[in-house]
Amino acid sequence: MKKIFKNNFRELSVIIAIAVMCIIFGALNPVYVSLANIVDILDQAILYGLMGLGIMLPIITSGIDISVGSVLAMSGCIVAKLAVAGVNPFLCMLVGLIVGFAAGGINGLLISKMKLQPFIATMGTQSAFRGLAYIITEGYPVLGVPDSYRNMLNVKVLGDIRISALIFLVWAVIVYILLKKTRLGTYIYAVGGNMEAARLSGVRVEFVQTMAYAIGMLGTALAGLIQVAKLGTGDPTTGNGWEMNAIAAAAIGGTSMAGGRGNPWGTVLGAILFSGLKIGLIVMNVNTYWQYVATGLVIIVAAYVEIFQTMIASKKKKKA
Amino acid sequence: MEKYIEFQNITKIFPGQKALSDVSFSVKKGEVHALLGENGAGKSTLLNILHGMFPATEGKVFIEGKEVKFKNALDAIEFGIAKVHQEINIIPELTVAQNMMLGGEPQKGILLDRKKMEQETQVLLDRLGCDFKASDKVGLLSAGKKQMIQIAKALYLNARVISFDEPTSSLSNAEVKTLFGIIRELKEQGITILYISHKMDEIFEICDRASILRDGTYITTLDLKEATEEELVQNMVGRDVSMFAQRLKPSCADRNQVVLKVENLTGPAGFENISFELYKGEILGFFGLVGAMRTEVMRAIFGADPTTGGTVYYNGEALPENRTPNTVVKRGIGLVSENRKEEGFVKNFDNADNIALASLKKYMKGMFVNRKMKEENSNKVGETVGLHPNDPEFMTVSLSGGNAQKVILAKWLSTDADILIMDEPTKGIDIGAKAEIYKLMEEIVASGKSIIMVSSEMTEVIGMSDRILVMREGHMAGELQRGEFEEERIITYAVGGSQS
Repeated sequence: MKKIFKNNFRELSVIIAIAVMCIIFGALNPVYVSLANIVDILDQAILYGLMGLGIMLPIITSGIDISVGSVLAMSGCIVAKLAVAGVNPFLCMLVGLIVGFAAGGINGLLISKMKLQPFIATMGTQSAFRGLAYIITEGYPVLGVPDSYRNMLNVKVLGDIRISALIFLVWAVIVYILLKKTRLGTYIYAVGGNMEAARLSGVRVEFVQTMAYAIGMLGTALAGLIQVAKLGTGDPTTGNGWEMNAIAAAAIGGTSMAGGRGNPWGTVLGAILFSGLKIGLIVMNVNTYWQYVATGLVIIVAAYVEIFQTMIASKKKKKA
Repeated sequence: MEKYIEFQNITKIFPGQKALSDVSFSVKKGEVHALLGENGAGKSTLLNILHGMFPATEGKVFIEGKEVKFKNALDAIEFGIAKVHQEINIIPELTVAQNMMLGGEPQKGILLDRKKMEQETQVLLDRLGCDFKASDKVGLLSAGKKQMIQIAKALYLNARVISFDEPTSSLSNAEVKTLFGIIRELKEQGITILYISHKMDEIFEICDRASILRDGTYITTLDLKEATEEELVQNMVGRDVSMFAQRLKPSCADRNQVVLKVENLTGPAGFENISFELYKGEILGFFGLVGAMRTEVMRAIFGADPTTGGTVYYNGEALPENRTPNTVVKRGIGLVSENRKEEGFVKNFDNADNIALASLKKYMKGMFVNRKMKEENSNKVGETVGLHPNDPEFMTVSLSGGNAQKVILAKWLSTDADILIMDEPTKGIDIGAKAEIYKLMEEIVASGKSIIMVSSEMTEVIGMSDRILVMREGHMAGELQRGEFEEERIITYAVGGSQS
């Protein structure tokens, strides 16, 4: 029991923060804890979480991918176009995932093979993928996505909970298994923790990096698929700045921006906390501008908790 | 002045750990005083107290008979106590003068007085006999020259006490000579010097007296004109380890079996036409001075760096020219790097994960890595290498240098590698752990594997090798068989003097 507490300190503290948040917002405005609102929070958290889990992989390799917002739009637009053209919904989904994987793979190759700095490489592709989204749609939203596609991803599986929640859960389990149970996952942590040591131990660092970006982008592609189903349109302007939401979910969940460390369940909880906070501020009728300030502060506090925690951990180690 | 610096009953307690316990001794004015002890003996803690990095839990420090209590490092520097660091912390983008005056730049109004900065710096550089200028960019200077800047900075601050913590670890032989010349000069000027080093020959060469610490307690102070190396070592480790770098078992080298053959290896780093053979069961010593490019050759064999010519044969089979560590490790060669922290292990990984890193395929159950199997392996191999604590969940980064090295050896012993390239295998490791690493190396070759040992420590090369190859400036300079091991001959090859 003690061990569970010690090893999951971060996750537990985020759970406590979520509980405290619910109590405070709930006390201030009971609407916050209504079922409809909670479903709203969850719906939003799903998008942050899918992308957050994805972006975690490059972050753990001590990289970053800021092109996710553009890929969200690009893959969404492609899928919407195909769906409007009458392509089988499952096939649409598959194409969307392939587009995401390929886009992430391009980022990965730029960084691993061409040795570009992750921030610069993905800043370039951020613009390029956004441009492609506009080119595909000629700048107009793709309207009239057929119900056959929308229903596939909007179907309610349990009460008001949609299948998208299930997809989120499955994606989290996949990322968990990938990171904790496979060789590739171990290598992702190793590359982020010490790239040279990993390379000299025979790890194919370039391959590992590329896969981290490619697989991670699947999360963004999933978010794009779900968003198209939710809104019924493919919008080339969507996802602008969303990389920050994704990074925030991962950071709140305890992913180290320096690489080498990160837990999928932390990111899941981070996404829920982040979404709960954003919607809480809306429910409280807080001025939009202050919402930005508040979310910024939360990210900073979360990052500080991380430092604080490491400090305590290192003190304890000296005692041991 | 008989007692220039006096430590009186110094005790330092870190949370849950007593780093120093009732340490009392004194240092004379103008002497070079060595602080000796194994890693973790408390040398650095004591120096840090002197330098005001943190206060002692109990006890007092006196300088010239007056008690001093420094609040922080700056306080101590202003008092005239400076430190030449082990890791040279200098900003490479700035000039020598800018680095020296950092934080105390002379100004003309709100602008820097560049001229004055460079003039004052140049005076100090000249005094130290440095051959570089105050306006040179630091990033382009060698490690030895960077150290000179630290010394010049100490003089600039009118230091009366200068402490050196492993000052020669990254210096070439010529630079060490210059450094010693300067230390002697500083001594003549009445500056008191504290000197920490693991290298015995240096201590005898440059130091007057040595105080020995062991496990946080003060053991004794010896006059180095009278003391012997064995005496020092015995006091440091508290047991008899005379002649620790020595083969305890007969050689296992099988001259009929060449396991690795390197032919005319040439690389962009600057080494040319390197050819040699490694026999089964052999410990092949590679000696050379700084700049001999031994590490570069090893990295090229291992596929870590590219080559421009030559071939490496592993058990008679040529390795591809565009090999990478991945392909070389698969064949069965492991590299124990000189830089443990940077290249040896992953800091976020515990022992089980680090030990399993190069052999992850072995711990699979179906598609998935099995943590339990990793831990079992960690326990088993950890025991073989004498890892302490042998705990799979212990973070490798928190281990001492010697134990971290054992984790890295355990990593390679977990693979099927039958050739280990060990680059400076005992660098920065205390004497007790060194002896264990040597024993381990003998066990490794006894099990039919082979070792290439790159080392700059003469005693180690002579004591442990079956055969010694000497490199000089990127070329093979000589080969010596076991019966021919003589320090003079090896050095002659290494420096390129006439071969008598």
